[in-house]
Formats: sequence, C-alpha cells, structure tokens
Amino acid sequence: MLVSTIRHFKAVNYHARILRTFSSQIKGQSSRSDTSKSLSELRNVYVEFLPDPTVEFRNPIREKLERLDMLARRGQIDIPEFYVGSILAVTASDPHSLGKTNRFVGICIKREGCGLRAKFILRNVIDHQGVEVLYEMYDPALQKVEVLRLEKRLDDKLLYLRDALPEYSTFDPDMEIEVLPEGSRVPVNPLKVILKPKPWLERWERQNLRGVQEFEISERDKRRADKVATPWLKYDLMKNYMNTIPEEEQNEIFSEIHEQLQQLELTRKKLKRKRSFVKPFKLG
Amino acid sequence: MALSQIIKQPTMKLLEEKFLALSIQSCSAIQSRNKQVAPQPRLRNPTWLTKKNRVIHDDFLTADNAQFVQEVIKDRYDVPPKVELPKNTVEWTPKLKRTGVIARKIGELPLWLKTGKKISTTLLQVLDNHVIKYFTPEEYDPPRKRPTRIKNKAGCLLLGAEATDPTYLTKEYCMLFKNSGVIPKKHLARFFISPDAALPPGTPITAQHFSVGNYVDVRGLTKYRGFQGVMKRHGFKGMPASHGVTKTHRRGGNIGGGGEKGRVWPGTKMPGHMGNRYRFAKGLKIWRINTKLNVLWVSGIAVPGATNSLVYIYDTNLPRRKPSNPLAFPTYFGLGDAVAEEDIYEESLHRFSDPTIVFQKE
Repeated sequence: MLVSTIRHFKAVNYHARILRTFSSQIKGQSSRSDTSKSLSELRNVYVEFLPDPTVEFRNPIREKLERLDMLARRGQIDIPEFYVGSILAVTASDPHSLGKTNRFVGICIKREGCGLRAKFILRNVIDHQGVEVLYEMYDPALQKVEVLRLEKRLDDKLLYLRDALPEYSTFDPDMEIEVLPEGSRVPVNPLKVILKPKPWLERWERQNLRGVQEFEISERDKRRADKVATPWLKYDLMKNYMNTIPEEEQNEIFSEIHEQLQQLELTRKKLKRKRSFVKPFKLG
Repeated sequence: MALSQIIKQPTMKLLEEKFLALSIQSCSAIQSRNKQVAPQPRLRNPTWLTKKNRVIHDDFLTADNAQFVQEVIKDRYDVPPKVELPKNTVEWTPKLKRTGVIARKIGELPLWLKTGKKISTTLLQVLDNHVIKYFTPEEYDPPRKRPTRIKNKAGCLLLGAEATDPTYLTKEYCMLFKNSGVIPKKHLARFFISPDAALPPGTPITAQHFSVGNYVDVRGLTKYRGFQGVMKRHGFKGMPASHGVTKTHRRGGNIGGGGEKGRVWPGTKMPGHMGNRYRFAKGLKIWRINTKLNVLWVSGIAVPGATNSLVYIYDTNLPRRKPSNPLAFPTYFGLGDAVAEEDIYEESLHRFSDPTIVFQKE
C-alpha cells in the first residue's frame, strides 16, 4: 500500500514537474530576482504589508507601527517569496522539547491575515495521516522558512486537498530545494486533483474550483449550487474597490518601505551565494 | 372718593369694564399664589460645556483676509506657551490621584513574550493633551451635590486634546482656552485629582505619563448596537432550533414566577438598547510605549469603543494592581534624563529586532 502510494505520488510529481518546466518556458522573461521590483511585483511578494481594507479598522499610525515591527522581524529571519501551492519547509523552536527545533515540510494550502497577524497553513501526509500546521509569519519562534518548490496553483486556496486523494498532499520531508532559473516567472502548476467521493468537509461543488478534476454530483446538489451561486459579484466594482487597497495607497506604502525591503533582499542574495557553495568531499 | 366719582360717571358700560378688569386682576392674583423662586434645575452642565461649533456663514471674506486670519492664528499659537513647572511637588504615594489622559483607540495588534507566548494588545494613542484649567476643591462646584460631606475633596483638572482651527469654533468655546495660551482643542475632559497633583494651565501630557508594566483603567463609549434581543444583549442560550419548537428560537423564556412574586422583578434581563454607554475596561497592563508617536500597547482587546474612537485612560483603582514603584508625579516633564528611547518595552516582552527565540532549559 505504502509503495503504491509513493509510486503514485512520484508519478504525480513527475507530471507536475514536466508541466512546470513547460509553463516556465512559455513565459520566462520577467525579472523575478531583480532587487528593484515594480509595484505589481512588490504587492505579490509582500502581500501582508498591505493592511486590512476594512474601512472601520484602519488607522495610518497603527499601520505604520505595524510595518516597522514587521521589517524589524524580517531583519532577523529571511521570509522568502511564496504562494499558495508552493512547498515550504519551516524550522521552528519547539517549546515541548527544549533547545531543539522542529522542521515541517508541506504544501501551503492557505495564506491569510495581514500585518503581524499574517499566517499560512502547511499540509503534508505523514504515515498515512494528513497533518496540517498553521504558522504565524512573524512568530519569533520561527527559525527558518525555506521554499523548496516555488510555484502557484490554479486556486487561491487549496483547502480541497483535505478531501482529495492523499497522494496530492504527500511530499517527501527530505525534499531538496528546486532552484528556478534566474529571471524566470513563478510557474503555475495546472495540476487537477481528484477528489474522494462524498462526504466532504465543504461543499466543493459550490466553489468554482479550477484545480479539481470533474466530479459527479447529484442533480439536487447541482440545483442547490446554482441557486446560491453569485456570478454577478465579479462585476460589482464598488464591492471590489472596498475589498482592496487602492493603488495610490499601495504606492505610498511600498515607497515608504521600499529601501528597507531592498536592503533585505540584498542580504538574502548574499546569503544565497554563500549557501550555494558546498565544499566537495571525498567518497569512500 | 374715587369710587363715588366712578359711580357718578354716566355710562354703565364703562363701569362694567372697570369691574371686569378688577375681577381679572383678582383671578391672576390667585394664580400666582406660589410666589417662590423657580427651583434649582437638577442637572446643570459644567461651565465649559458651551456651544462648540460656529455656524459657518458665507460672509464676504476675501481670500486675502482668510489668509490673514490664518497668519494671525499661526503667530499666536505657533510657539507653545511657556509653562512654569509646579514648585512644591511632592513624592508620589499610593493615596495620591494623578490626572488621566485623553487618548484614541487605534487598533489591535499581537505581541510575543520571551517565552514564545502570543498576547493580544490594543493600541491607544495619547493625543496632544494640554491642561486647560484647574479647579480647586473649593472652586469646583459639582452640578449634582453629594448628600454627605466628603472628607478628601478632589480638585478637577480640565484637559483638552486635538488642536483644531479656531475659526470654526464659537467665541465662547475659544475663550475657555484664553488663559492657558493653548490653541483651542476639539475635545475636553475633566479628571478628578488630588490637589497635590494639580498642574498649571498649558502643561503638555504625553504617553510617558504612564510607565511600562503598570496597570490602567480605560473608559470609552461602547459601540451602539441598537435594540437587541436577549441572546446578543445578555448572552442567553435561546431555545432549540427544532424538536417542535415554534416561534421561540431566540426568545428569553420565562421572566418570573407566580404567587407572592407574581410580577417582573426589577433588573430582569430582557431585550433592549445595547451599547452606547460609557464603560470601563479595568486593570489593563501597559506592555510597550512608543514615545515618538505617543502610543501605548495595553493588554486585551476588550477596550470599549470602536477603532478611532476616543477613550480616557486613568491609573487603575484596582487595589491589587496599584504600582509599587513611584510614578511620575504630577506628570512626566522629561527633565533630568537624556533623550528617551523611542520604544520602551516591558521586560518579559520579545522585541521584534531581537534574535529568534530558542527555548532553553533553565
């Protein structure tokens, strides 16, 4: 059973890799690792620097103080660029085994919150048991965040992996870092997962998932899904505006912290170079 | 004599009129039988509660004149008033009561302790507080008199916060600030203090009035939630959703017994208006102070009021959380010591610029 699942998982990963290289070949002209990033890149990479758009909770002074704290923490830990669907390894100090650390490898299935409250969920299947860990990005007990495979998926949340076949969320804990070629765009993995039959944790048929293979649902469920669907909401410009930070404000925020972010990125680059050099060793 | 003359008058009609006038007079005399002075109104507003905002007329003020007015305001208020420090300051003792401050609730953020524990805090920004006036215990005439004699009478300190353009304010309101030399403020608040804690008008009060590790009480106006049912207002459980329950899913149920107690007892929890009352959050610990922006991080997320609403911060009156070290009394003047740190942290708090926490054996 174990062997078969691993084989399956390998096959899935293999397909994914082929597709990834393919997609990266298609669009590989933008500069991802440049130190000077445009606004559109900054807001993708440092999403949590944008405040909560809810009007009644906003205050410029609080937001400024929050950003200063975030930058201070980022001076201590390198939090790299990652997306939902990327595979991360998080090393954290373990309060239950003093003096030791805990490393968890998994796929990021959700990113939420902004500012100091930013958090993400990693999922992996360990010993046939699905495990999810929620990490706070600015938790001072995090020691290292590594991106083992930088990629995006077709959906903004991968919570449906909980109801998918386990091989879709199984990742080798000893996985090595896959380095993307310099200057390539973040690849999108067009993998379509197969869901297990009902019962599900959520009504996936109502969520317009793109990364899920066609599944059969009863006529009744379909009818109900159609009934509650709100396809017109994407045309609601006012709602869209209220749920986002306007571009002018984004510019203001990032121009304020741009220099510090650039400095952080430079130090990261230096560290990267240091890390890449591995001293050759004799065999036998 | 006069009467005889009137009678001698020829017309009966005139006589009739005179008689009527007499009768009316007598009637009015009966009506004004209670010749008392009108009784004192029960509630009287404090002297500083005058009309604040002026009605802005489109008077023919040219652009030049408007600019001139702004220049005058700038000349008058650009330099903060020189304040003589109180001479006979005494050492702080736990029985003395200092002034509070006017602040704004600006949001909620997490902080981490050195033990790795996450705590939630509320950020309160101390606004540009200035002392406007001090009323001695004898001077201060409370609108509602206490029936009993009070032993240790408190003085009343009037604070103002948030400077504003005086051209939008009424003359009476601006006159309140005349003696202090402070630019008129949007918000006023009174604080009852020990006479020893009195401050001269014009004294600024900053976030360093409080110190890290001490406890404060925060008073604010809670969010108005309108007329609410018992489930939201008092946290009742409601009734079951099914099993034959009809039309009573969110109702309170029984409100009293029968017999001798067959009535609704006073204080029974029932639906009604919720919120929009001044409430205290007591005993909140100060974890961190930003001296540059005058921001306090206090524990908990239960500070009454919405974000960006005004709150009033006092030293706590909880007996077990009284400070052990002497406080800055009557307030922090920034004398003697060098330039204060920008961020002052509680000892057990993790600073974001500190290295990553590693849990070690003690």
